[in-house]
Amino acid sequence: MEQAPPEAGQVHAEVGFVKTLTACVAGALVPGLGHAVLQKWDRAIVFLGSISVMFALGLRLEGRLFGPDFTDLFSILKFVADAGSGLLYWFCWLRGLGVGEPSSYTYDFGNVFVYVAGLLNMLVVVDAFDIAMGRKR
Amino acid sequence: MIGDHFVLMLIFSFLVSLVFTFIAKDRAKERVKYFLFLLASFILLSILAGWLMYPLPL
Repeated sequence: MEQAPPEAGQVHAEVGFVKTLTACVAGALVPGLGHAVLQKWDRAIVFLGSISVMFALGLRLEGRLFGPDFTDLFSILKFVADAGSGLLYWFCWLRGLGVGEPSSYTYDFGNVFVYVAGLLNMLVVVDAFDIAMGRKR
Repeated sequence: MIGDHFVLMLIFSFLVSLVFTFIAKDRAKERVKYFLFLLASFILLSILAGWLMYPLPL
């Protein structure tokens, strides 16, 4: 028996789903890339620039990149916040950067910069999701 | 210079305000106003929090 062709609404929904998924995954990997996929160029440039600068400053200030350590709640939270930066985090962590120097007085500043870069990127992914779903412009 | 607490607070405030502004607002004029509001709030409240913590530990 011949299958009925998909309706226009169904095709649109599938394209929307693929675009949403692509934007979210791209945004989670590289800050601002999700917005670039959605052709929101101004936001993409600002997010890439701000989050990358914040992450790089965190490392420059001798902050530490916390690795995947699931022994206690705070270790998990630190790792999740750091890893929110996506490939920036994984590239630097795998290269052995971000060892951290606790005796340096900028150590805490550095950690906060790296945490906040990751957390901001999570917010940016949610924003890309909302735009792809048509909830905001 | 980069290790100065106040300069670091300014850089942090600037970057976070910029990201929040572009998430929350769409139009250029709204963005400028909201960015300046957020930046001023970050800076003034950080200084206020610093003064409130000045007598600690008691």
